[in-house]
Amino acid sequence: MKKTWPNRPEAMEYFDEISNFFGQREKEIREQKEAGKKLIGYTCMFAPIEFILAAGAIPVRVGSGWYDAAKLGDRIMPVEVCPVIRSTVGAKMVNLSPYLELSDAIITPLTCDGRTKLSEILSDFKPVWCMTPPRVKDDPQSLSLWKEEMQVIRGKIEELTGTKITKSNLRSAIEKMQKATKAFRRLQDLRKGPPVITGRDAMLVSQTSLWDDIERWTQKTNELCDELEKRVEQKMWAFPPDTSRVMITGTPMLWPDSWKVPNLIEESNPAGVLVVDEQCSGDRILYDPVGVDEWTMSDMFDAVSERYLMASTCPCFTSEHGNEDRVNWIMDRIKEYKVDGVIYYVVRGCILYAMEYARIKRILDRMGLPVYYLDTEYTREDVGQMKTRVEAFLEMLEARIDI
Amino acid sequence: MAISAGVDMGTQRVKVVIMEDKQILSQTQNFLGFEPTKAAEQAFEEALQKAKLSREDIQHVTATGSGAGMVSFADSTVSMMGADARAGAYFFSSARTVIDVGAEEARAVRCDEKGVMLDFVVNARCAAGAGTFIEAMARALEVELEDMGSLSLKAERASPINASCVIFAESDVVSLIHREEPKTEIARAIFDAMAERVSSMVLRLGINPDIVLVGGVAKDVGFVASLKRRLGTEILIPEEPLFAGAVGAALIAARRAGRRQ
Repeated sequence: MKKTWPNRPEAMEYFDEISNFFGQREKEIREQKEAGKKLIGYTCMFAPIEFILAAGAIPVRVGSGWYDAAKLGDRIMPVEVCPVIRSTVGAKMVNLSPYLELSDAIITPLTCDGRTKLSEILSDFKPVWCMTPPRVKDDPQSLSLWKEEMQVIRGKIEELTGTKITKSNLRSAIEKMQKATKAFRRLQDLRKGPPVITGRDAMLVSQTSLWDDIERWTQKTNELCDELEKRVEQKMWAFPPDTSRVMITGTPMLWPDSWKVPNLIEESNPAGVLVVDEQCSGDRILYDPVGVDEWTMSDMFDAVSERYLMASTCPCFTSEHGNEDRVNWIMDRIKEYKVDGVIYYVVRGCILYAMEYARIKRILDRMGLPVYYLDTEYTREDVGQMKTRVEAFLEMLEARIDI
Repeated sequence: MAISAGVDMGTQRVKVVIMEDKQILSQTQNFLGFEPTKAAEQAFEEALQKAKLSREDIQHVTATGSGAGMVSFADSTVSMMGADARAGAYFFSSARTVIDVGAEEARAVRCDEKGVMLDFVVNARCAAGAGTFIEAMARALEVELEDMGSLSLKAERASPINASCVIFAESDVVSLIHREEPKTEIARAIFDAMAERVSSMVLRLGINPDIVLVGGVAKDVGFVASLKRRLGTEILIPEEPLFAGAVGAALIAARRAGRRQ
């Protein structure tokens, strides 16, 4: 799916290629598998990528963004179920996703009801390794429970790959991911100023990290940043600098079809530019590095465990003060990226995100920051109605400046 | 001062308003039928004739409504919510919430004293909160659409019906007919159900008086009575609520014409 708009950075060509599920990357993974490598799929961002890399396996996120596949999923589960789940099952029914098919095992963190039962359904086809993240992060027992989960997963990865996770291969995996985080943050810093890259391109870059070779991805992302830095000097912008700056938060948006909201925002009249998001399919993927004090096995293990639990802003968490980390993430980004308005995106059936809306809206209202609740489905049929709503919201942002 | 025009291309009708210095010079409407573009042009021509103006006299035309993009002679477009907010504040300076119930969509907009939209909600998924619902129900009751309102006002109580979906509501209405419930009460039940849907949408914005009701359905006394009961507040309605969207668009067109000079 080639995207064309004026002034698109040349370095995006690489990410277009990698975004093709049936292209170079698939071929490469098939070859590596033939050479004996294992592919470990995961349905959600709690899976410890560093462990997978350390054991010499290939990590790939396998949640489906195909709209049509959701309709297939309807055959075996009610339409009230979140379309991300229905679509992932539908993709399995027709063997649509090469990465899901090529997975030797799938890590399924049980973060929501949909993913809990998805794990069961996938277990009919593949070995499935559940992980249960605690729902309250700050309770004293939470981290120790989580570390036990991580120990078990570590054992399973070692067993499947026949490779022990050692001090040296874990360190090398952590360092690879830290470099990826550094490249990602470099790109993010470029998005804090006038829009030098479209939000859609930035999203595609983040998302391809979920299935690309992470070292090559890091190199290509740095090349993109080099090109963008030159463009900043030349004041060559992807949108006029006074374009309304939009943040998206909510349900993950997965390539290739679940991309309609960023398309609507950036092609609307007036247009907005997506400058930052709070999504596990976007800016949350790589933002947080694993912070290691000493390169001992136990320190590294603890650091990886903590990174996946404590840094997550998933709505599966709660506390007596609500999901504070998520609120803080959103508030910080609004200031750092000079956000004019927030689109709160929810697909039908995504109960956790839907239920957190009221609390987040209350906080944003207090800040005087416009927020719009945009609910949709895995379908193209509602694009007309959504366009009306997105345009009105962007018009509202513009009118606040220009009246 | 600028002479401007607003065109509201709805789902059933096109409405045109020509304004000068915030005064309405003329307003026309036309059913879209199968040739909506032609219908819009005709309505515009007619509005020009009524105002004794020619096309060249109009400095800026702004289109709104679900078919805004089809208005070939428009210079710009504005969202329906933006037009509603502007029109609400034009008709009543105290307006802080504008509810627009059209043929196939209902929406509510919160605005400030200048008519700038601050927040909005749309009920686009189901026609049970919009004008076509009354039409469908009038057919089921074998009553003229115009008589539904006055009929409902004669009811002593309402029989509850399901308003989550037009189709389900219709089968509820049919069973009420079979139970030989009086038509007055069924009519009232229909408006109550619709008001329930619209008010639950409005309440998501919070009650911010004064509340203004516009759109074709604001003409229906039955719906207005039900909505007042449901919201528990007074509702202000302009004399010609059908033209509110076009008025808002014309006001925005005037601003845009001024900016261009």
